[in-house]
Amino acid sequence: MKILETKNLVKRFNGVHAVDRLSIGIEKGKITGIIGPNGSGKTTLINLLSGVLEIGDGEVVIDEAEKLTRLLPRQISFYGITRTFQNVRLFEQMTVLDNILVVVTERNVFASLFEKHTDYHGKIAEEVLQKVGLWEKKNQLAVNLSYGQRKLLEIARTLAMKAEIYLFDEPFAGLFPEMRKIISDIIRELKRENKTVILVEHDMGLIRELCDYTFVMDEGKLLAEGAPEHVLEKRAVIEAYLGE
Amino acid sequence: MEYLIHLAILFAIYAILGVSLNLVVGYTGLLSVTHAAFYGIGAYATAILLTKTGAGFFASVILGVIVAIVVSFLIGAVLSKFKGDYYALGTFGFNTIVFAIFLNWQSLTRGPLGIPGISRPELFGINFANNFNFLILALLFLGLIYFASRFITSSSLGRVLKAIREDETAIAVFGYNTLYFKLAIFVISAAMAAIAGSLFSSYITFIDPSGFRLMESVFILAIIILGGLANLRGSILGALFLILLPEILRFVGFPADIAAQMRQVVYGVILILLMLYRPQGLMGEYKL
Amino acid sequence: MDIVPQLILNSIIAGAIYTLIALGFNLIYGATKFFNLAHGVMVAVGGYAFFYFAKTLGLNIFVAVIIGVALAGLVGYGLDKLIYLPLRKRKASNMVLLVASLGAFTALQAVIAILFTSQFKTLSQNVGTQKLFEVFGGIITQTQLIILLAAVLVMAGLVLLLYKTQFGKAVRAISDDEEVARIVGINTNKIMGYVFFIGSAIAGLAGILVGFDIGIEPTMGLSLLLKGVIASIVGGVGNIYGGVLGAFLLGFVENFGIWKISGEWKDAIAFVLLIVFLVFRPRGIMNK
Repeated sequence: MKILETKNLVKRFNGVHAVDRLSIGIEKGKITGIIGPNGSGKTTLINLLSGVLEIGDGEVVIDEAEKLTRLLPRQISFYGITRTFQNVRLFEQMTVLDNILVVVTERNVFASLFEKHTDYHGKIAEEVLQKVGLWEKKNQLAVNLSYGQRKLLEIARTLAMKAEIYLFDEPFAGLFPEMRKIISDIIRELKRENKTVILVEHDMGLIRELCDYTFVMDEGKLLAEGAPEHVLEKRAVIEAYLGE
Repeated sequence: MEYLIHLAILFAIYAILGVSLNLVVGYTGLLSVTHAAFYGIGAYATAILLTKTGAGFFASVILGVIVAIVVSFLIGAVLSKFKGDYYALGTFGFNTIVFAIFLNWQSLTRGPLGIPGISRPELFGINFANNFNFLILALLFLGLIYFASRFITSSSLGRVLKAIREDETAIAVFGYNTLYFKLAIFVISAAMAAIAGSLFSSYITFIDPSGFRLMESVFILAIIILGGLANLRGSILGALFLILLPEILRFVGFPADIAAQMRQVVYGVILILLMLYRPQGLMGEYKL
Repeated sequence: MDIVPQLILNSIIAGAIYTLIALGFNLIYGATKFFNLAHGVMVAVGGYAFFYFAKTLGLNIFVAVIIGVALAGLVGYGLDKLIYLPLRKRKASNMVLLVASLGAFTALQAVIAILFTSQFKTLSQNVGTQKLFEVFGGIITQTQLIILLAAVLVMAGLVLLLYKTQFGKAVRAISDDEEVARIVGINTNKIMGYVFFIGSAIAGLAGILVGFDIGIEPTMGLSLLLKGVIASIVGGVGNIYGGVLGAFLLGFVENFGIWKISGEWKDAIAFVLLIVFLVFRPRGIMNK
């Protein structure tokens, strides 16, 4: 079933279409790749799906039931969506541990003031930080981590949300193979747990390796879709990339 | 000795102002320069209630807090639409408007004439005209507010506030209604400032609008930037330093009549030097 | 003397003064993209420099005007070189620059108060025997006419400078995109320094003119600055014509606003206008 769909999604900036009547459907429990040359609108799409940018026109559909023409950032977790950012956005002057704790505590203002710290929070934090290998650094400030560690922390933060849909925007960019393996293992494990992953990436090898289905974007429009092997061979797709 | 007690009382009042403002500026990252408005609301609430009715000091504190909560809720709601520099400008605006109200709503506040004859608190027969007793009262309030602030900053709420400061959109994505959180801390901070105002009113026994203008908010901002943003003990230290500053200047030889101006020069220069060389202040961890 | 024509005249004069402030402020904001609050004190610097050279030293009026304007420009230039430039080099955030400018404003204002006392002084020789002109039923003094003239001339001069000179081209390039301007080879820091000089000099001129019209006091800068900022934001920040438009709009709103209520509410009305714009149209009237 299509856990997430867009229907004629549009976003314009100063007259330029960043996303141009895009209609795609994301299958639940699968890893879906979004690829395309720079400026094709991939990150804009992720921003629209996570409420970070306001939808210009069209709608987003959740679980084939909920039709949304407006989406605020704070609503997406309610729909089971979480994300990472292309230009890592951590809470810099807070510790690694706090970066995780801050997303698992109470959403309600009054409750958060009087919330008692339970083992529950500590356990989740330890679990996700261990998974990315950052538990030993839990008291370090995020701003002091290496680039790779920062990307891993962002991923850990999403894992702590125990979400249904994970939007990863270029999570592998600039990482050494060891760290890439950690992330691809995490993504595969999410699939085993029947979670849905949407992956924006430039590395075609990873797309081939991980994705069940791929959408190719170019100039805001959908250029092609299908299994990675088929899509990556299509002439139009190759030309779009060469043209960039 | 009497003079030291006087300084200590002022210190306690400004420490309350500093600690409360730090919650908004240091922890949540909102550059609010309107704290003097809430300080003034508390002061006027106490002044008016004590001089016009038979109500007691503590009732006036509650009144001041309530008015401050209502006003700050409205102001905070409007301010939430502004970002960065515009937020600061918006707060200048509100301070100016509230000051204009103190100055012009003469039937209530007697405008520039001010309100004299404010009485000291009455409680269990303790004589609060004795400044030492008043100092104890002020320190008790400071302690209360300090511990309340600590409670807030070490709670989950406090952690969310810091995340808002670091990256508001990023924390929103994880399900937090950042508007409510910002509004909540703004209101709490305003209520604390009002308490400081009530203390000030009753201590000096005379208030007029001049103590609550924009420059006063800048002074309180200087206290927390000096002490260190997001560090409550730093705010107390900052208050101590800036209250003692005129005394230090007099000791060094500046005549009393320009001491007030000198104080302003010094804390203006301190702000510049801090921004240039030590933005995290004396005890700070967080750099602006 | 009819009320409405006089109100209109008053509005225009106020608009002219605010225009001068807004022009300088907008010029600096356009190039540096931060709210330089110290701009306010340049007004006082100009006014008091003139006072010193013309009244105390007895120099020729025109010479004193030139010195006053130049001195204000130099102080602005100095602030940039000593404080803002180092901060920019360190990639300091806008909040840091704003706080630093706040410190500079506070310190300089107090220095002026120490040097010249806080007393109100007037700059014009013969109070009350100024030439008066009757215009459409309202009265305008010679000084006020000069203010109008100055506003028009400065605006024209600025437009010429920005659109007909190489320097102006560079300034506009920096205002559009500082990084690109630098890549293209423009010495952005040097140009910004000159921009500070020019902008502050205009503020100094405004201070002298206001001094003739009303008088000078050390705190004159704050109120005028805030009006200038309001005018800039309402009209469209960084936009020359926007600043002028906003200035006159502000002048009218203020003067007609206090028609039926006390004049003391002027500042508050100005800020209500600001807040209305910040909520509904933060980019101002002229900006897209």
